Amino acid sequence: MNTSSTRLVALFALLAIAVVLPFAFDPRGYAIRILCLALLFAAMAQAWNIVAGLANQVSLGHAAFFGIGAYTSTLLLIHFGLSPWLGMIAGAVLGGLAALLISLPTMRLRGHYFALATLAFGEVMRVIANSWGGLTGGPVGISVPFAPPDLAMLQFKETRPYYWLMLAALVLVTTIFLAIKRSRLGYRLRAIKENADAAEVIGVDTTRTKIVAAVISGMITACLGTLYAQFQFFFDPDTVFGVASVSVRMAMIAIVGGIGTAAGPILGAFFVIPLEEFANQIFSAQAAGLSQLVFGLLLIAVILIEPRGFMAIGPRLKRLLAREKADG
Amino acid sequence: MAVVQAILDGLMIGGVYAVISIGLTLVFGVMGIVNFAQAEFLMLGMFVAYFAWAWLGLDPLLAAPLAFAVVFALGAALQRLLIRRVMKAPEVAQIFLTVGLLIVLENAALLMFGSGFRSVTTPYQTSSLQLGPLFVSVPYLAAFAMSVASGLALFLFMKSSWFGRAMRATAQDPMAAKLMGINADRMHMLAFALGVGLTAFGGAVILPYLTASPTVGAQFVVLMFTVVVLGGLGSVAGAVVGGLAVGVIQSLSALAFPIQLQNLVLFVVFIAVLALRPKGLLGAAR
Repeated sequence: MNTSSTRLVALFALLAIAVVLPFAFDPRGYAIRILCLALLFAAMAQAWNIVAGLANQVSLGHAAFFGIGAYTSTLLLIHFGLSPWLGMIAGAVLGGLAALLISLPTMRLRGHYFALATLAFGEVMRVIANSWGGLTGGPVGISVPFAPPDLAMLQFKETRPYYWLMLAALVLVTTIFLAIKRSRLGYRLRAIKENADAAEVIGVDTTRTKIVAAVISGMITACLGTLYAQFQFFFDPDTVFGVASVSVRMAMIAIVGGIGTAAGPILGAFFVIPLEEFANQIFSAQAAGLSQLVFGLLLIAVILIEPRGFMAIGPRLKRLLAREKADG
Repeated sequence: MAVVQAILDGLMIGGVYAVISIGLTLVFGVMGIVNFAQAEFLMLGMFVAYFAWAWLGLDPLLAAPLAFAVVFALGAALQRLLIRRVMKAPEVAQIFLTVGLLIVLENAALLMFGSGFRSVTTPYQTSSLQLGPLFVSVPYLAAFAMSVASGLALFLFMKSSWFGRAMRATAQDPMAAKLMGINADRMHMLAFALGVGLTAFGGAVILPYLTASPTVGAQFVVLMFTVVVLGGLGSVAGAVVGGLAVGVIQSLSALAFPIQLQNLVLFVVFIAVLALRPKGLLGAAR
């Protein structure tokens, strides 16, 4: 068996385990909810990875799209009884439009400037959601109305169906990421990452390429916002539009795992989310802020120790072993 | 008349914005790093001044140099321990190191000081001067005067001291500066410490009219970046112009829009400047 088919078999085995995994947990328990969140955040980090990982356009404002998705489907459900599936499509359209809107003026910006502009965009969406109380319910938040549990209404009594839904979302987003990475778009994005001026010279329409990637990433993030709303049943502007709670967390998960790789966001999410929940459980009784502090310290540690994340550890070890062998 | 009054108020607040943003622009100008955690040093300056008032009975305006000194030392240590290590790293690493610092500082403050709001009482808190039909609030005026003084002090330091010239040389060309016998590494440390110290100074002087809390930095993040982008990232003179402009814009927009949407107006300005003049209104002065 050659290596690529071995990998394929391993991948399917992993997927099969992931599918049956929830049977090992109490269906009403806390652990399975953490797994759901880890899957969801892995998918979100993967969406962020499309723009930041492939083209090196570091966004600090993806919460904008996430919040748009959450609010769009929830408001449509409340006011028109529209199924969240349709709400998700509407949210994706709005999320894509928002990505287009912010991309047009900022796509020529690079590095720090782009990060600044996207950060401000996310913050402004949060401010709007907080102050436009008539639409969003303002700072007190908004609840998803209960419906009879049903796939069509994207509501379930137990946690397991959510788990499978989020697993499917992660698989889908990862497939999209890989498809983009291997497509012409992916090569263009990587050309931009390596050297934007050189890419332009050899005929890559860098602005258009970046906008296409940003719109795809924004649409996916908005869809995941709808999933989040249906899963949590309650949210407020500071949770879905938050810099630390969404934008930075998405980015951090991708970075911890390995930015620009398909496996990175998944590894990152299954490390960061359980760790955070664990820290919350131990510390939250004692003082507010401690688990966030751990989160920040972790981010700093990863940046200083290995900014390429977990995915760099394997090759590093291999090199180390090879050197040992050569020396021995 | 309301418009003139608003412009006057805006200039007063804008002076403070200028000083807190000079710190940010200085760090970028010398080190080439955008410090996303900058607003947290403003918060720390406010807390130093608050405790100086609560424990020693010191007026926040007098405690401002103390806030500068404390945060200067903290900044020097942080630069040595953390920032220095990503100077040559990819931008992603630089961005997320300071973002991580932001989260750590905010939550460390939350743990130490609690989430409550703290304010000081001063004898001049509610007094104002009358200039014909116009009023100038004394706390605004005092903060403005202190800001101008610190801005001038920085200007003189950068212009005529050896350290100032060495720092500017490092900003222009680190390699050439090194060849002239300047320790670029130390200049980076000085620039970072000075930058965050100035921002803390600005935090202290606004304490008489603003309440301190661990999350107060969030109010200033978009604002500070608007100021420096408006003036040109890295330009100190630009930050002064940008600060005054943002103060006036904010104050005028308060006449037309509800207070919560002030940030929205700023954001529109911010994006417009980024899109049209990414080097700032004054051009690319470093």
